Parts: sequence; C-alpha cells; structure tokens
Amino acid sequence: MSQDLSRRDLLRDVVRGTVLAVMGGGALFLVRKANGQVVWQVDATRCVNSRLGELGVEACNLCTTQCVVALSAVRAVNDHAKCGRCNICPAYFNITSAVDEKGYPSEKLCPRDAITRKPIGKVDPEDPANNFYEYFIDEKKCDGCGKCVMQCKEPLGLGSIVLRVRYDKCVDCNRCAIARACPKDALVRVPMALGSR
Amino acid sequence: MRRARILVVVLYTALACAQSIPYQRPVDTAPQEKTIGGGYKLPAVEKPLPRDAWLQVLDVAMLAAAMGVSVWIVLRRRSRKWLVGLAIGSLAYFGFYREGCICPIGSIQNVAVALVDPKYSIPMVVTATFFLPLVVAVFFGRAFCGGVCALGAMQELVLLRPVEVPRRLDRALGLLRYVYLGLAILVAVRPALGRDFLICRFDPFVGFFRRTGAPHMLIIGGVFLVAGMFIGRPYCRYMCPYGGLLEWCTRLARRGVTITPDKELDCGLCAEACPYGAIEKMRAVRRNCLYCARCYAACPRDGELAHAKLVQLA
Amino acid sequence: MQYRQTQVMGGYWKAALCGLAVDRHGHFYAAGDSHICMFDAAGRLVRRWASARPALAVGVAVDGAVYVGEAGQIEIFDAGGKLIDTWRDQARLGRVTAIGFIGDSVLAGDAADRAIRRFERHGAFLNNIGKNNPVNGFLIPNGVLAFAVDAQGIIHAANPGKHRVERYTADGELRGHIGRFHGTDPAGFGGCCNPTNVAVADRIYVTEKAGPRAKVYDFSGQLEAVIAADVFDPNCKNMSVAVDGRGRVYVADTVKLAVHVFEQVTV
Repeated sequence: MSQDLSRRDLLRDVVRGTVLAVMGGGALFLVRKANGQVVWQVDATRCVNSRLGELGVEACNLCTTQCVVALSAVRAVNDHAKCGRCNICPAYFNITSAVDEKGYPSEKLCPRDAITRKPIGKVDPEDPANNFYEYFIDEKKCDGCGKCVMQCKEPLGLGSIVLRVRYDKCVDCNRCAIARACPKDALVRVPMALGSR
Repeated sequence: MRRARILVVVLYTALACAQSIPYQRPVDTAPQEKTIGGGYKLPAVEKPLPRDAWLQVLDVAMLAAAMGVSVWIVLRRRSRKWLVGLAIGSLAYFGFYREGCICPIGSIQNVAVALVDPKYSIPMVVTATFFLPLVVAVFFGRAFCGGVCALGAMQELVLLRPVEVPRRLDRALGLLRYVYLGLAILVAVRPALGRDFLICRFDPFVGFFRRTGAPHMLIIGGVFLVAGMFIGRPYCRYMCPYGGLLEWCTRLARRGVTITPDKELDCGLCAEACPYGAIEKMRAVRRNCLYCARCYAACPRDGELAHAKLVQLA
Repeated sequence: MQYRQTQVMGGYWKAALCGLAVDRHGHFYAAGDSHICMFDAAGRLVRRWASARPALAVGVAVDGAVYVGEAGQIEIFDAGGKLIDTWRDQARLGRVTAIGFIGDSVLAGDAADRAIRRFERHGAFLNNIGKNNPVNGFLIPNGVLAFAVDAQGIIHAANPGKHRVERYTADGELRGHIGRFHGTDPAGFGGCCNPTNVAVADRIYVTEKAGPRAKVYDFSGQLEAVIAADVFDPNCKNMSVAVDGRGRVYVADTVKLAVHVFEQVTV
C-alpha cells in the first residue's frame, strides 16, 4: 500500500518534472524570440485615407467607430515639416462649399472643429493670401474620422496629415478591434521605436 | 487621322496593361523655416509614448505576488475573509485599473501564435503572464483562480445562492472549456490576415472594466454576471480555456488544498459550502477547487486545526 | 469653343515627364527622365539626346538653341542636340522648372528659391522676378514654378498658393493677375494650389491638379474653354503645358507619362 502510494508519488513527481521541463523549454524558446515593446500603429501606405492612388472614395472612419476606447485612440496628426502651409487648405476648409465674399470657402471640413489655423512668419496685414499658415490639430477634439487626412493626400495636398495611434490613449488590446475591421489591414504591430516616430 | 486613332487605341491598351503605377511622393516641397522667415520655429510634433516598460514588468511582479499571497491565504492562513480581500484587490488592480488586459487567459493565443508563426514574436511579459500561473498550479494548485484572476473575482463576489449543478452535467459542461480552447487556438494561429483572438473578443467582463464596449460584449458580461449569482463561477468552470490548462496542471500539484478529515466530525458543512463541487465524499477534488476558501469558513473545527499537521487525502 | 484630342504620344519616358516646349517651326520638345525628345509637327520622334541630370524643363530660344533646366544648372544644346554650354549656379538655379525668353534675356524659374531669374544671353545674372513680396517669392507647395512669356514680353507666372496667374514685366514689376479660388465653379481654381502650369500664345492656357484639367482663359481672365478633364490620370500633378503657333495644345500626363495633343474644333 505504501509502496503503491510512493510509486504513485514518484510517477507524479516524474510527470511534474517533465511538465515543468517542457514549460521551461517553451518559455525559453519564446523568450529567445522576444522583442521589445510592440505597439499598434497605422500603416500609412495601406490606410485608405492616406494611401496614394486611392481617389474619389469617402474617407474611411473605421478608426473612429471601432476603437474600444470612447474617443478613439487614433487621431490625425499634422507633420509640420511636411505641411505646405497653404492659404486655402483643403483639410481645413471644405473646398466644395460656397465661396464667401473674401474669397474663402464658407465651411470648415472638420466635423468636430479640431483644426486651428494661424498665420506664421512675416505676416502681411493687407493681403491674407500673402502669408503662410500653420494648421494645428487639437487632439482633444479629434476623433480620427479621417476626412482631413483624405483631403490632404497627394495630389490634392502634400500628405502631411496622417492617422496615428496615440499611445497615451491606446489601451494596447491584444487584438485591436480596428485591426480586425480594417479592410486594408492597415493596423499593424510594430516595435515601439518605429511606432512612435 | 485613322492612324492617329489607332495609335491612341494601341497606346491606351499598352498603358492600361502596364504594371500597377507606382505613385510616389515627389520631392519634398513643403516650405521650411528659412523660407517662412519671420523667426518662425517648426513646432515639434507630439509623440505620446506608451506605458513605460518597467510598469509592464511591475504587472508581472504583481501577478506573481498576488499568487503568492493567494497560496499563503488558502494553504496557510485558511481564511475566507483574507481571500475576499485579495479578490477585491485583484479586481481593482488587474480588472478596473489595468482594464483586464493582458491576462493569462488571452495570452494562450499569443503563445500559440508565437509557437507557430516564425514572424510573430511575443514580448517577454506576455510569456511570463502565461507561464507563471501554470507553474504555480503544478506545485500548489489553482492559486490563480482563487483571488487573482479578475474575471474570477468578479464572479466570486456576485455569488449569492449557489445552486448545485448535477455531477454529470458539471462534467459535460466542463468539456466546453476544451472545445473553446481548441477553437481559440485554431482561429488564432491562422495566417496574419485571417487571425482573430476569440478569447479577447468574447471576454465577458472587460467591457465593464473599460466602462465601454460593443453591445455583444456587454450582453455576454451581463448574462454571466446574472448566471453567476446562482451558479458558482460559470465562466470559470465551463468556458475558461485557461482553466482547462490549469486543471491539468493541478493534477500534478504537490501541495494542494486540504480539508480537515475527522472521523468524528463528518458534518459535511464544507461540502455544502463549496459551490464548485470540489469536495466529494469529504475529500477535496483538487482539480475542481477554485481556491475560494469557503470550506474553511464553514468548518467549525478549522480554526483550531489550522496549524496542526494535516493528513492529505485524495 | 471646344477642343478635341488628336493624339497621345507615349512610351518614350520611364520615370518622369516634366517639361514641354514648342519652337517656331512647330517642332515639339519634351523634357523627361534624363533626356530631351524632339518631335516633328506630325508627332514623329526626330531626335533624342541625353542630359547630364534629370531634365526638369525645356525652352527653345529664337536662334534654335535648346535650354534644358535641371537641378543646379541649365544646359544649352544646339538644334542638333550637341551641348554648347552649361550654366551652373546652385544658389540661383536650385531647381529650374521653367524656361522662357524675353528678347535677348533668358528667364529661369527656380522652384527651390521660388523666384524667376533673368539672365542675359551669356549667363550673367540680371534680376529676380517675383521676390518682392512678404512671402519672399511665389507660393508653390506643389514644388514647381511655371511661367510663360507672351508676344509683348510680359511674363505670365502661375502662383498656385494664391490661385492666380500673375503678370510681371521683365524688371520684376507686378502688373496684375487673373483668376481666383473657387471650389466648384470651373472658371475658378480649386484645391489648395492651382493652377500648377501655364503656357501663353494668343490666350492663357493653364493646367490644374486634383481634378486634373487643362483650361483656356483670355487675357482679361474670362474662362474660354475647359480643354479636357477626364482623359488624364486622376493622380496627375504639375502637368506641363505648351502651345504652338497654330493653337495646338500639348499637355503632359505625369502619371501615365504621355503627351496629349488637343486641337481646337471649328464650330
């Protein structure tokens, strides 16, 4: 009886040892492949809103509707170094709206009024067309709907506005809900150094 | 004229059949600081960084610590009160603060993909999250389920009047876990474009942790909460794929939960108190034990025997 | 007034098609990749020669010399394609995207510094045109400075950021402008930076991007015709345009790398 018990115990010990060894081996294998922090980021070469060549389509707002966070973690970001600083920016104004008497479109494009515009450099007080303008997107208001991104895209604009995942908002889901819904698989996992660029 | 028209047709067909036109961004033509003049300085583009790496390591440390505390509470201290305290603490930290992600249950998928897909590499933190509870289970049993798992803690705290589930039904439903496990792994290891993480998609309570979620997630969560008021921890016992893995590991456990065997006092209060069917014929069925410590609370003799040497059975 | 497309010349360019010009004899020159193609009036390739750097613009002087604008220099070839001279000036000829002539002087549009430079025929710099304003040049986020010279020696320069075509004298004095922004009216210039290119003969011919089209205006700014809109690839940008003495219009499709030729239809 006691022999049975000890045999059973021994068997159990052996199996336990094997299981632990297998787990250890598995863990080691995975750790050797391990990378640093990976984060979700929008691939601008795939995203419909910023991808070259895709014209005449509605701006895709899946980033806004699919993100599990209440105000989407994807926001439009304007890279000032690439921005043309145009007087009449198609991402700021709705250029198909009626033109007012000053020569500017009467409506703004952003449905949440997140873009602000101010003249920079040497400001010409008489002719407003004679200035460079800086366009700044307020991230607290932006919800990543992509309208401005689509309008800024080449050839209409210079493509300085793109959709980016903001890491102070992204909860880093194991499987990003936007990634699942995106028809072009534009949400990808990248090393943090790449994603935060 | 006719020649020109033919030329047009030929050229158009040739151009149309050409390979996809590579649209390229031309030379960078945006005005620079110098061009704009007037003392203009380029504003820096904000780059919010994600959570610090050390915080993720802290999460793993907290997981390990919580499991250590759970083992101590259930195997040493044998106190239900302390376990409830731990459960509340885990719910607060792993549930509402970390919003339930990453969790060992979901990490099954990451590990499965990492083993199968050479291009997918898994952060060390996730590997640790997957293996730690299993290793603890191999030695001490399902300490993770006890007071650490946020999903378990949620169900644990809403259990009002446990209804006993008939044995056969319990066993049969328990098989669902393995079906779910197989399905989750199968869907997760598909190539990158077809991959889906079912466990995350149908997580019952993460919608409550985030205070927002898709309708189907909130409904599933509500159903499990309501069911959990009467059936003890339905997700844990019948749906949780990680629970299936833990059950296998518990069979090897050296030191597990023990209840007091006492021929004089086979009162069976512990068996009545256990909502999970982990006590059969006055013996602990370790693989079903979810470390809730209700049996200790019900035992009238447990207090005095807490430090006595106990005979292990089963 | 209506135009119809008579010809499409393609297959000669692999990477870029940048500049178009027509000479007095009706020969048509195209600058693209790193070579210049010369076609006769029927559209047959007559000659082709290489340039040292990617060719961005081409212009033909009265004596038949072919001036080619490149990044950092202008190369001058004779009518047979032989290199006569090279003008190198990194500061003043950063990226020459347009070439024109007034009398004896040569005009070069420098997109890098956003100004038109005037040189006398041996290469000595005379003056800048278009620099005399608060933004210190033309507003060209699209990256190309385009202009053309009419028979009276007035320079018609496209200022896309301001949605107008401006008129300058050879000394740089701004005389006036035509055009205004409008999002939907075809007579206006839409988008953020239009028109991108301009050519002038008896009328002003312009091309636009983002909704690519070619249009004709008279000198007072009235729209006379939309030459074409749907035949170009929608991703075209900075489509070069040239007009010959008989009113034939040449427009470059910069994506499909072909030249469309239009002629006026006598109604």
